[in-house]
Amino acid sequence: MLGDFSMNADTPIIKVRELSRHYRVAEKSPGLFGSLKALWSGKTRNVIAVDRVSFSIEPGEIVGFLGPNGAGKTTTLKMLSGLIYPTSGSAEVLGYVPWERADPFRRQFALVMGQKNQLWWDLPASDSFDLHREIYSLPADRFSQVLGELVEMFNVKKLLHQPVRELSLGERMKMELIACLLHEPKVLLLDEPTIGLDVVAQQTIQRCLREYNQKKRATILLTSHYMRDVEALCQRVLVITNGKLMHDGALGTIIQRLGAFKQVRLQFAGDQIPVGLKLPQNAMVQGSVVDLSVCREGVSDTISRILEQYPVTDLTVSDPPLEEVVARYFQESTEGVGG
Amino acid sequence: MSAGPTSLLGLSNPSSPWLLSLVKYFNIFKVSLIERLTYRADFLLGTFLRMLPLVTTLLLWRAVYATKDEISGYTFRQVVAYLLLVHVSRMFSSMPGLASGIARDVRDGNLKRYLIQPLDLMAYLLAYRVAHKVAYIVTSLPLYSVIFWLFWGFFEWPDAPRLYVAYFAALVMSFLLGFAFEASLGMLGFWFLEISSFLYLVNTVNFFVSGHFLPLDLLDPWVAGVLKVLPMQYMAYFPAALIMGKAGDWESIVLGLGIEAIWCLVFFSVARLGYLAGLRRYSGYGG
Amino acid sequence: MGADAMQPGRSFIGYLRLLGVFARFSLTREMAFRGNFVMKVLLELVWLMILLVFYQTLFRGVDSISGWDRYSFLFFLGCYYTLEGVVETLFLENFVEFSDLVRSGNLDLHLLKPIDEQFLLSFRLVDWSTVPKLFIGAGMMVISVLQLGHPVGALNIVCFLGTFIAGVSMAYSFLLILSSTAIWMVRNQSLMELWWLFSTLMRYPRDIYNVTWAWPIRIVFSFVLPALLVVSVPAEVIGRATMNPWWICWMGISALLSFVLSRWIFIRSIACYRSASS
Repeated sequence: MLGDFSMNADTPIIKVRELSRHYRVAEKSPGLFGSLKALWSGKTRNVIAVDRVSFSIEPGEIVGFLGPNGAGKTTTLKMLSGLIYPTSGSAEVLGYVPWERADPFRRQFALVMGQKNQLWWDLPASDSFDLHREIYSLPADRFSQVLGELVEMFNVKKLLHQPVRELSLGERMKMELIACLLHEPKVLLLDEPTIGLDVVAQQTIQRCLREYNQKKRATILLTSHYMRDVEALCQRVLVITNGKLMHDGALGTIIQRLGAFKQVRLQFAGDQIPVGLKLPQNAMVQGSVVDLSVCREGVSDTISRILEQYPVTDLTVSDPPLEEVVARYFQESTEGVGG
Repeated sequence: MSAGPTSLLGLSNPSSPWLLSLVKYFNIFKVSLIERLTYRADFLLGTFLRMLPLVTTLLLWRAVYATKDEISGYTFRQVVAYLLLVHVSRMFSSMPGLASGIARDVRDGNLKRYLIQPLDLMAYLLAYRVAHKVAYIVTSLPLYSVIFWLFWGFFEWPDAPRLYVAYFAALVMSFLLGFAFEASLGMLGFWFLEISSFLYLVNTVNFFVSGHFLPLDLLDPWVAGVLKVLPMQYMAYFPAALIMGKAGDWESIVLGLGIEAIWCLVFFSVARLGYLAGLRRYSGYGG
Repeated sequence: MGADAMQPGRSFIGYLRLLGVFARFSLTREMAFRGNFVMKVLLELVWLMILLVFYQTLFRGVDSISGWDRYSFLFFLGCYYTLEGVVETLFLENFVEFSDLVRSGNLDLHLLKPIDEQFLLSFRLVDWSTVPKLFIGAGMMVISVLQLGHPVGALNIVCFLGTFIAGVSMAYSFLLILSSTAIWMVRNQSLMELWWLFSTLMRYPRDIYNVTWAWPIRIVFSFVLPALLVVSVPAEVIGRATMNPWWICWMGISALLSFVLSRWIFIRSIACYRSASS
């Protein structure tokens, strides 16, 4: 039976205090002249990737890092895994300072990056797993037990002996995850694990991660810009924008806010929108196309009303882009609307 | 702000335009200097990288000839002259990337336009290579002139003008032969997916067989005899031997030129046939 | 209880064992592309033939080159061939891949493993297609030893092994420094071009550089970047039965110095990589 990690349930397994990461970027305009100019002026810009972020995570939690692209999620994760030095601040994972990269520390956590693969491309996944076992010096019988359980959990038994390059994207991701779980890490850091996968594969990965967390009480920290990942797995969400931690709390409150609106796009027959169509203030009109935001509960009413009265040729209902939603959320909270 | 020499010079006021310009131009100077030095260092390193093997070869042959004046009809100076002349021959006959380029075009499906448009792949490639070669030869002239000037005493230039005509003809034909040979190899790309390792193998063999590495006359007589029958010798050995007077009498030279011309025709035909057959096969895939 | 925070650090034997694992996996991978492997071996054979024909041609014409007679020179060639084989089998592929890893960011994946990064990045891939060079080179050395005019004692053999290993270490350090500096320095010459420079220098006995005008080359490449020593000194120990204590000591010292220097540069470069990435 897979072991249980919830021994010291009272101390946080991940502690982050005022963690910051800046770096200098040479300022230059594009093209040859731009590079020459950059050489002459030597101007650099200070980019703040992560700005004084603080949080604590208890063992066994599944926490989501949510935020638009470039918000600093990956950078934070890389600092927690010791790949990058921070500019200031401190962090402690499993009692170690990550960027000192002690061997015992590296044996107890795993980092999975959605678009990078560590499996040997031309060999079956089972060979990569064997190599992993050797590198982590895992005892043979324990290893086969753990591998057996993981293979069953992810349902990949038939694919073990096929070269990795022949697997689909979703199957490959499953194999990557298995590879990272073979040494039974107590902390699992995932960076965009479901990026590029179809819905079915995403759901499988989500299910397996949930199961792993339940069975082993492993702590999982995952970043995503997909709401779905976060909704499926996380009880707690940290929202990051522009390097700053904007929200740290239960998923419920965020869902209400962020999922409150839906984007509706209507295309009407003819060149123009129908005369007399009443639109709210935030609607955008372009020729015969209208974009509006409608609150979740009111979507079906609004749509059916419009469909009854006007000739609609095309209709799309979608989630608004995350940046917009997050921006709107914080605009609201600073305006003091809601809690 | 007190009046005085410093304020007149604008030095006391940090935002004076005069001072800012001075600082700016100094910075430009500083950065440009570093840039030029880095460029110079890089250039020097690159030149050194290309020169060192020549120096090593030179020193090796010098050590070989320390105990003997002549080996198989070549003196030390003649060997060095030969190796330099072979560089010239290779300058004409080497076709880097030709075969692999054709194979890549086949693999990537870029040949569709040759099926549709009245454009001939080989004519296009030949035109491209001629232009490329002219540019390459022109830009290499300074460096080669320096090297030939340094080693001028090593050469024994013949008197007869017809030899120079023959030499020039041999060089031009070695360009054509090199082109046709590599193009023929490239046509294999129609039948085999991955030919880069094979090409590398062929080029390595060619390096030796063409006489680029050693004068063919230095080898065992029967080996040399076999190699001189092959077409590859025209890509390096033959022009060099011709101008050094090692290709026999005038009749032998003319015969050699004739055979070289025949080999050109042979390989152009092979390339052409390969191209036509390959296109047929290619379009058969309905790509 | 979770895997092995309690486990002691990996021992020397552990690292040796891991080396065996890497060799095994590289072989498996190489066998997945059998055709390519065969081509590579064929290529090595062609180069070998060119080398042997060259050797035979030279010694058909003369009896000795810079004091190296027919069989001493053959020993030198064997030593060169074997040493180059060791470097190509164990290291070259890893260093070529290193710059790709840095560029693609996949280097991160290797930094996460609980293993010394330099070891992992230096030994991960083993090129089996150049393994025949080790045997053929050793064969050339054995054949020549049997024909040498002078006896070869136990001391010569011990010295030879020591200087040979020092030579391999120096070549390794050179490659490591080249690869590491590529992280923070933009260079126009590729790794392979600079390695070819190094191997050109070690290809022939350093005695051929004993010409008055070549002294800068002799000095620089014997003391600053001792490429000239890498094959010559070990080959001299047996091929010419010359065990010059000064050169042997200097070779040992430079092997040690270059190893320490290369490790330091490597660690600094990785730190630089980690400060610069985002």
